[in-house]
Amino acid sequence: MAVAETLHGHSVEVGSKPLRFHWRLPYAGESTGMAMADQATAAAIGLPDPKAQIEFCRHAEECGIDSLLVDFGFAKPDPMLLAAILGQGAKKIKFILAYRSGLFSPAMFVQQLNTLSALIDGRLLLNIVAGYSPEEQRGYGDFLSHDARYERTEEFLAACHAFWNGGAEVNFAGKHYRIEKGKLKTPFVSPDRSSPEIIVGGGSAQAQQLARREGTCWMQLADEPEKIRAGISTVLASSVEAGLRLCMISRPTHQGAVQAARALIGGEHHARKSDGQTAFIEKTDSVSFKAAYQRGDNEWLTRTLWTGAVRVQGPTAISLVGSPAEIADAIMEYKDIGISQFILSGWPKLAEMMFFGREVLPRIRQREAERAAKGDARSRTSVMN
Amino acid sequence: MSVRFHWSLSQVGDKFRRANATTDMKGLFSLETQIEFCRAAEESGIDSLLMAVGFTRPDPTVLSAALGMETKKIKFMVACRPGVISPTVFVQQINTISAVTNGRIHINIVTGHSPHELRYYGDWLDHDQRYQRTDEFLSVCRAFWRRDGEVNFEGQYYQIQNGRLNTPFVPGERNSPEIFLGGNSELAERLAIKHANCLWRFADSPENLRSRIPEITSQGIEVGLLVSVLARPTREAAVRDANTMVRSLAAKQQFGKEFAQRTDSTAYRSTLELAEKSDSQWLTPWLWTGAIPYLGSPAIALVGGPKEIASAILEYKEIGISQFLFMGWPDLDEMIFFGREVLPLVRDGEAELAGAAKVARRFSYGSC
Repeated sequence: MAVAETLHGHSVEVGSKPLRFHWRLPYAGESTGMAMADQATAAAIGLPDPKAQIEFCRHAEECGIDSLLVDFGFAKPDPMLLAAILGQGAKKIKFILAYRSGLFSPAMFVQQLNTLSALIDGRLLLNIVAGYSPEEQRGYGDFLSHDARYERTEEFLAACHAFWNGGAEVNFAGKHYRIEKGKLKTPFVSPDRSSPEIIVGGGSAQAQQLARREGTCWMQLADEPEKIRAGISTVLASSVEAGLRLCMISRPTHQGAVQAARALIGGEHHARKSDGQTAFIEKTDSVSFKAAYQRGDNEWLTRTLWTGAVRVQGPTAISLVGSPAEIADAIMEYKDIGISQFILSGWPKLAEMMFFGREVLPRIRQREAERAAKGDARSRTSVMN
Repeated sequence: MSVRFHWSLSQVGDKFRRANATTDMKGLFSLETQIEFCRAAEESGIDSLLMAVGFTRPDPTVLSAALGMETKKIKFMVACRPGVISPTVFVQQINTISAVTNGRIHINIVTGHSPHELRYYGDWLDHDQRYQRTDEFLSVCRAFWRRDGEVNFEGQYYQIQNGRLNTPFVPGERNSPEIFLGGNSELAERLAIKHANCLWRFADSPENLRSRIPEITSQGIEVGLLVSVLARPTREAAVRDANTMVRSLAAKQQFGKEFAQRTDSTAYRSTLELAEKSDSQWLTPWLWTGAIPYLGSPAIALVGGPKEIASAILEYKEIGISQFLFMGWPDLDEMIFFGREVLPLVRDGEAELAGAAKVARRFSYGSC
């Protein structure tokens, strides 16, 4: 298996390492499903709930979850501080902080992130998104268009990397940022890295390019494996990992899972209706959110990949639906084409994660072990020959 | 009203602030040491700890969130520079901390005093432009804190359209943090009067400060003093320690002058001049400028025994100073000594003054 050294000093070994699973951290008042559009009006979501959320973190640790996604938005507490708060109570789980450029000066952002890394021993990853809602961005004083945001985001990450890469002084002259002799004393603290892993989210060509240049993993919304395969080849060739954001509805049987999925959206035919999400989709300038919404025309993309909740819950609700064995097989199919990380969520939030940890993940690990054994056998054979 | 005391948290164990070259500082910190400092501050009657900002330190906001989880009473005065963060995110961050600490957070707005350092952060504005931007920044923040609908703002530095935030400032009885703002320039004064609850001033003799204060306090804001403290059981011991400290610092770099050439802060420059112009290191029998050439303007210090320091504080109180932000060498020992030996004398003095005022009022009622 080829090992490649990337720009930012980590190696990628496609297909051989165990898959990594992340889960989305639920907010206060979010125990069951809640559409993206409804989050905006739920006051409880804005308040951190350290007790319940630390509890969730500990469950995630027990379930074999790598990191929890702490997303950013005007309806929620600030992710950096929420991670600092929860990281004091949960000592093992990592946090994926979702941010976009246009909110902080790069030096300020690196200083905050490095401080957080020192507090929680580097248990953090970054999820950089260029933004999907021009409306929300203007509330933060950010008026750039989709393409200009990508340009700025690339400069932002390049400037951040300049601080992390530890040159004596950072000098940067870009279109959006100008830094002279920049210095920061607080380093990124981690047992094995000098900068955080950077997951770049987004389905557009610009997102992919950004991931190749400044990221460690390109994360996109799920689609059927055949379609994903073609899209990730250049990313993998650049020694950047590929990941998928999707939901999971798993029950002991296929039929039970399908029933649970349909119940979630209030009935079988509901899926084809455009309701709460239509207005949201019209306003977004995200390429992948619009594309995911279109995929909703076809309720089942594969036997297990279901789009029924997309038009009710939002574009990230493309879901794997099925029994633990079916889900494990579907995940392995993604692994075979080169996907190595997943950011998952489900309904109800906690129960789904616990079921995943207990029933689905062991089956995935078992399949991974079986393949590794076969692979070992093959390579031994080839040595003998 | 009792005088309120704040102390500066030395985040990275910089025992003698500015005495060492910044290149020697690591920017790493021990959370345990700082939690201990917070608890000592709680026991010493300190209202809040200043969480300073700068490239040699960890980020004060993130650190305050972590310390807030480990403490019950102490507040955190988070320093903030407007040019490095969107006001919307800033309010979101402050509100997030308020929600887990039950509002134990103040903010200290610093417009910046070193143009060189500001460029590390991509900030290229000059002194007056920075004040204008700070004005806009605080206008936006206050609009979010009012929570009376979507925020719209059209400024030169910030444009906000239909801004919303779901996370409120907690607790509800205050809808925003107390805002402190430092500076000696007229711009700083005007800005504090417009947006802040308290204006920080570097210490000077009560004589020199007296004239400006009523003008500021009459506009509804407080004036606080930024000053170091060197208190020992007796005045002799304090003076001796002050002189010993200067002798040991003299062997190292002269910080003050070099810094004065680079800073564009009116407050920093005028305090350095104060130290230079004066014939003696003693502006009053207890206000000492001897450490300024080595440690910079914040090193202007109250030096003396508990009695001298307490009466100095009461003298300032009489001219209208109602808050103090202290630093010490080293901070922890000085703060504990202050809480144990000086603070009770201040409170006694305040009670006496209040009693005297009551008598005087009764007397004046009686006479009319």
